[in-house]
Amino acid sequence: MLAYLVRRLLAVIPVMAVVVTVVFLLIHLIPGDPVSVMLGPDATPTQIEATRKALGLDGPILEQLLGFYGRVLRGDLGQSYFLDRPVTTAILERAEPTLVLMVCALLVAVAIGVPSGIVAAAHRGSIWDRVLMIGSLLGVCVPGFWLSLNFIYLFAVRLGWLPAAGYASLFTEPATALRYMVLPAVSLGFNQSALIARISRSCMLEALQQDYVRTARAKGLPQRAVTYVHALRNALVPVVTVIGVTTAVLIGGAVITEIVFNIPGLGRLVISAILRRDYPVVQGVVLVTAATYVLINLGVDLLYAFIDPRIRYD
Amino acid sequence: MARRAFWLRVLTAFAMVAAFMIAPGPADAQKKGGVLRVGNLGEPPSLDAHWTTASITETLTNHIYEGLFSLDRDNKPIPMLAESYTISKDGLTYTFKLRSGIKFHNGKEMTSEDVVASLTRWGKQSIYGKALFAQVAELRAVDPLTVQMQLKEKSAIVLISLAVPNNFGAIYPKEIAEKFAPEVKVTEYVGTGPYKLAEWKPDQYIRMVRFDEYKSRNEKPNGYGGGKTAWLDEIRWVPVPEVATRVAQVETGELDFADDLNLDAYDRLKGNANARPIISKPYYWLVAVFNKKEGLMTNQKLRQAWQAAIDIEPIMKNVAGGKKEFYRMDSSLAPVEISAWHTKISGLPWDEHNRDKAKRLLQEAGYKKEPIRFMTTQEYKWMYDFALLTKQQLEDVGFNIDLQVVDWATLVKRRNNPKEYDVFTTGIGAAYDPTHHVYLTPSWPGWTTDEGIQKIQQELARETDPKKRMALWEQQTRQFYEKVPVIRYGDLFGLRAARNTVKGFNESTERVRFYNVWLDK
Repeated sequence: MLAYLVRRLLAVIPVMAVVVTVVFLLIHLIPGDPVSVMLGPDATPTQIEATRKALGLDGPILEQLLGFYGRVLRGDLGQSYFLDRPVTTAILERAEPTLVLMVCALLVAVAIGVPSGIVAAAHRGSIWDRVLMIGSLLGVCVPGFWLSLNFIYLFAVRLGWLPAAGYASLFTEPATALRYMVLPAVSLGFNQSALIARISRSCMLEALQQDYVRTARAKGLPQRAVTYVHALRNALVPVVTVIGVTTAVLIGGAVITEIVFNIPGLGRLVISAILRRDYPVVQGVVLVTAATYVLINLGVDLLYAFIDPRIRYD
Repeated sequence: MARRAFWLRVLTAFAMVAAFMIAPGPADAQKKGGVLRVGNLGEPPSLDAHWTTASITETLTNHIYEGLFSLDRDNKPIPMLAESYTISKDGLTYTFKLRSGIKFHNGKEMTSEDVVASLTRWGKQSIYGKALFAQVAELRAVDPLTVQMQLKEKSAIVLISLAVPNNFGAIYPKEIAEKFAPEVKVTEYVGTGPYKLAEWKPDQYIRMVRFDEYKSRNEKPNGYGGGKTAWLDEIRWVPVPEVATRVAQVETGELDFADDLNLDAYDRLKGNANARPIISKPYYWLVAVFNKKEGLMTNQKLRQAWQAAIDIEPIMKNVAGGKKEFYRMDSSLAPVEISAWHTKISGLPWDEHNRDKAKRLLQEAGYKKEPIRFMTTQEYKWMYDFALLTKQQLEDVGFNIDLQVVDWATLVKRRNNPKEYDVFTTGIGAAYDPTHHVYLTPSWPGWTTDEGIQKIQQELARETDPKKRMALWEQQTRQFYEKVPVIRYGDLFGLRAARNTVKGFNESTERVRFYNVWLDK
């Protein structure tokens, strides 16, 4: 187990090296220039050149890349051009909103997705099955921003039940924070629940056709026990994978949700950084996101062993 | 007798009702206190007024800092931190007397040393400062409250340059002005304005609180200048990048004010009982800027053909979402709001939509359907809209337009490279002096190097007689339409929204100011 863990952790290094290089090259090779954005529309080319020099953007790109590697190895992600602070600080400031949104949306997604998948499978072909699966189809199809804007219009502008947008820290003002979090978590969670529901349903169906289920039924166990005790646990492995993938997707920042609901998280940070070509921030966020992604995948793999004792890592 | 008494009573009643209606009700009384929450579209690149021309920086920094001069309601310079000024007979020496007892936010009293250090830094970095300091021989502190500016030659732009609100000559304490090199942005924000910076949390808010020791001028509020009162305890600027969310938050009352809205929100806001739309003018005139350094558009006939071909009204109408309230047809290079420089010249070849003339000019230009690279962006919807409609109109008369849609950061980078484009879109905001029209300068992208245009620009910078300057400006306008360095479309207006509780807001300035604003909650 330990050897496996070390092996997996070591494998993270080449993955990260590739990610870092590709991101660096991509963001530098697309046209656009942070300095022209910062100095405003009326800046003159001489002014722009002077500032490029001050930011160290005038050297050859390979030289800048090597400098970047060196800093990353020392744990320094550089200084944001726009925000006047180190990239690590900027990321840490944005981590809380993104994590809170991620957890809330995930709870909503799982709370909707897993039960509806199981119920649909248990009552295969029934009206429940159809209604739930059409619902999940909608969840996949409806664009997130459209859903979010309609939620705002309905629940904030028309009904006035919830605030339209904003964020408060869960640790300082928990009640306000939860009110702010309802709409984004539900609209994002509904979108993400769709995949979970469909996977849960098909895994459950597969499990229900296994020999041991027939045996359990033959023993005279009630249908309820057969479905929720015997089949469910065996159906869970792929569901956990999907939940893991969903978590990883959400950690990169649910970009659109964060923008529409004005949540100051990582997704908003990276989008504004891309638009204003704040290179160090883009690189830093992608690096951190990629690392988290890899670690979550590792976590999911380890979790399998607990759910399914047949799985062993040597 | 009874009859007379009756009429007397009626009359008295009328008089009382009238008096009641005329007298200011308690609702109109200004109130101290409250937090004004303002939604704007993003983060400023800096809060260093000398450093960037970004309009969001202009809006924010004008609450924190002040310059020697400001603009009145007619957009003419009036003293702000200056008490008075004198100009020597030869026009070469400007002596500024400073107001006494002005405190910085750090408690230090402002003196001439701070002014000299700040303006020197501004003169090296700001586009307006650089233009002025090209004419300055020496700037020195005569005594603690007197500053003298010695010019190399007569100049018409001293006061206006010190008064422009964008990229402006904000006065910082000497220690800060000298600590940060001009090309490095200031990160300590200390000014003399009615509000001081309390906290800046990127992507969350910028908090400005009342500066209790602010010493207001005695005049009434006047344009950007005059007396300023900080009624509000705090202005909280909240970046809300999604425009639909900004509108919704004003509707729900989560924001008191929102800037830069999409025009399609106008009707919804008009129907709201608790908020109102505000049309902001001047905003921009739409412009297509030609690359006059390299490539196809160096050909003046081709530029004239473009000007002759386009039908501006339908373009403007479309960009303004079909609403007459949001655009204006005008050929003057300065908008009506800048009354000193607004021109009314008839017979200019503006908005001719003369297809035959355009076709003839294309022929004379020797144009053979080579693709013209026209750069625009969807980040600003109005730019994309007017570029697209222009393309259609031009192709109808025989142009071949290669519309290149890129993001804004790409556009502003590429437009500096003469090899990468032929035309690009942008907007021209308020320019308070003829010399401030960037598209007439040889250094700004598009590079207007034409000798005739440059000669008049130089004369405009030197000539101090207002009448002669106006004559020169009219001459320049005529020349503009003949040489077509850029295409002037119509004026587009912007949209803002305010809750009804926001009182005292001055709707007639280009950018928002919240001094003198109070909340009636």
